Amino acid sequence: MNFDLGPDQRDAAAGAREFYRGQASAAAARAALEGGAVAPGHKALADIGFLGITVPEAAGGAGGSVLDLAVVAEQGGAVLAGPSLVTAARAAVLLADHPDLAGQLADGSAALAVLDGSVDGSAPSLDAAGATLFLALDDSGALVAGEGEATSGAPLDATRGLASVRMTTRRVLTEDATALWERARQVAATVLAAEGLGAADRCVQMAVGYAQEREAFGRRIGSYQSVKHMLVDAWVGVDQLRSLVWWAAWAADAAPDELPLAASAAKAWAAEVVERAAETCIQVHGGIGFTWEHDAHLYWRRAKVDRLLLGDAAEHLDAVARLAVAGSLA
Amino acid sequence: MDFDDTPDEAAYRADVRARLERAAGDLLHVGAGDRVDAGTHEAELRRTQRVLAEAGLVGVTWPREYGGQGGTLVQQAIVQQELARAGVPTLINHIGIGMCGPTVIAHGSDEQRARYLVRLLRADDVWCQLFSEPASGSDLAALRTTAVRDGGDWVVNGQKVWTTLAHVADFGILLTRTDPDTPKHAGLTMFVVDMHAPGVTVRPLRQMVGSAGFNEVFFDDVRIPDAERLGEPGEGWRVALTTLMNERVAIGGAGGDLGLPVETLVRHARERLPRLDPDRQVLARQAVGRAVVASLATRYTGYRRFTVLSQGGVPGPEASAGKLAGTAAAKLVADAGVRLLGDDAVYAAAADGDDSWQRTNGYLPGLAIAGGTDQVLRNILGERVLGLPPEPRSDKAAPFSGRPAGGAR
Repeated sequence: MNFDLGPDQRDAAAGAREFYRGQASAAAARAALEGGAVAPGHKALADIGFLGITVPEAAGGAGGSVLDLAVVAEQGGAVLAGPSLVTAARAAVLLADHPDLAGQLADGSAALAVLDGSVDGSAPSLDAAGATLFLALDDSGALVAGEGEATSGAPLDATRGLASVRMTTRRVLTEDATALWERARQVAATVLAAEGLGAADRCVQMAVGYAQEREAFGRRIGSYQSVKHMLVDAWVGVDQLRSLVWWAAWAADAAPDELPLAASAAKAWAAEVVERAAETCIQVHGGIGFTWEHDAHLYWRRAKVDRLLLGDAAEHLDAVARLAVAGSLA
Repeated sequence: MDFDDTPDEAAYRADVRARLERAAGDLLHVGAGDRVDAGTHEAELRRTQRVLAEAGLVGVTWPREYGGQGGTLVQQAIVQQELARAGVPTLINHIGIGMCGPTVIAHGSDEQRARYLVRLLRADDVWCQLFSEPASGSDLAALRTTAVRDGGDWVVNGQKVWTTLAHVADFGILLTRTDPDTPKHAGLTMFVVDMHAPGVTVRPLRQMVGSAGFNEVFFDDVRIPDAERLGEPGEGWRVALTTLMNERVAIGGAGGDLGLPVETLVRHARERLPRLDPDRQVLARQAVGRAVVASLATRYTGYRRFTVLSQGGVPGPEASAGKLAGTAAAKLVADAGVRLLGDDAVYAAAADGDDSWQRTNGYLPGLAIAGGTDQVLRNILGERVLGLPPEPRSDKAAPFSGRPAGGAR
């Protein structure tokens, strides 16, 4: 058994960490709430090649695995980067038989978004706010591509680029695409959990760092078991989320039969772990953690939005139970 | 990344399976997750371990010179997985193999090693670990059982408690206070004690689920020869840490399911879900889903620890998370199993007589206490993994004899 990242993936993660730390930050996420641009932004992600990690080399991508992409996405999540690699991963699955469009995804000449719900008025969908080309599943079960009009609500987390879209033009890319759509959604859920892993890990780091320094009643607050145990529970959740994310990402490439169970497990676990980590981070910081200037609320916003995207915890727990009972586990 | 055995591991696993198949007729077999009472099945359990020892499947990581196999931690994990797969119950001497024996290997004399270790592996002698006392559980170093030097012997008086297997044990490792005038960690000494010696009284304790799995043990002027000391006088805490570190490897190393395997819950759900009314089914699926996800999160995290072993590493303090999270997952699994029983869930057994879910549910509160309480594990993780400061301890430097007699303030 070798359930660990390989040296290439570790290098990729280190490179991605450096890139994202230079290009995005919680401060940028805060600025985005006040009308600033999402960072690093679509062009920078295309230029460094992150939008094409899972696009085949023949179509202009890197031909990497979902696991390769997930380790990069974790680093993006750690600094609340946007647009999301969830969109790139999901679109790459959908465009497997359309190298021209996949090439546009990879090189950034089109800004893609994948719509959930109806083509005549989608659910709020990731990165739809700034997109130029939309992918959706129409009522007949066909994969369609086209343009559309996006309508946004007041952003809770501006880095997510959420908008509802009414498609104004569309052409069919693939008839009978229901199974393809499902797989793309499972890969998307996996990558969303990977971004959540990065965000939750950062929350725990911030909170632990503060608990090691801040003093109250004559000693550092991390020495109090009430604070310590809260931090440990958050850390254990993050450590376990890493295992589920790796498993799901590995399954996407190496064991497609396991992907539905693994992706739903990762997404359900992420929804709760990221939320707990963000809330723990605020609580440990006390009053300062509740201010606009502090980074904690930006992670909290990310947690509160992501938990509902691509199916909430209840939906995925139900899926896990149904899949397990139907024979995915025993 | 892969979940397959390496060629060496696969060959070893095949060899273990072959040996288990050859021995199958002489082994006790049970259903997955079933616990066998050592009191009522002592002879079969001793025989099972002896047969396994003769097949080379006991003491996998022990050095060959002491009767072990000189194998790796990953080989040990493979043997445990295969024993579970074959339905072989936990070895009767699991405490001896996992904790007492390694302590004798590390701190015993050559004579003690020769006298005890091979017999321990064969379950000719069963061992127990005499650490906890009524007034010192998590705060082990506050123990009060005394050993006083008298010529070539030590004379022991006091009481131990929650001692698993004491009612069938032949020997134990016994942590005592030999110098009350030094700080609490400094005045301790470890011994090997003969559980059949005059003055040793074992009284089984009935656990909350009704069965007797652990004991209280009384020592009244029990004489132990000085040759049975493990380590120097006053070095008992250091010796005990060897035991406790091995306990962590034994419990947290391989990441197996604690309680009933999640696959058992899934089969139970397949049978029971359709019998619930539709609204209840929705809620029950949430409980099952949550239990499955928590179990898989623990299992796959165990695979990461297993990978560390497989590459020749040793488990660090993060292994404590395996027991903490595994206990929580086991509770979710057992509770979902009980809830699936519908109206039967309020009784100790279902109408068909099956009490496995309620029995497991009733056993799990003990798992959250034994081998490091959930709270002690959180302290370990907080301090050694997250680097948080320890709580100040007012009793650490003062002589043990200076503390109030009642223990409470």
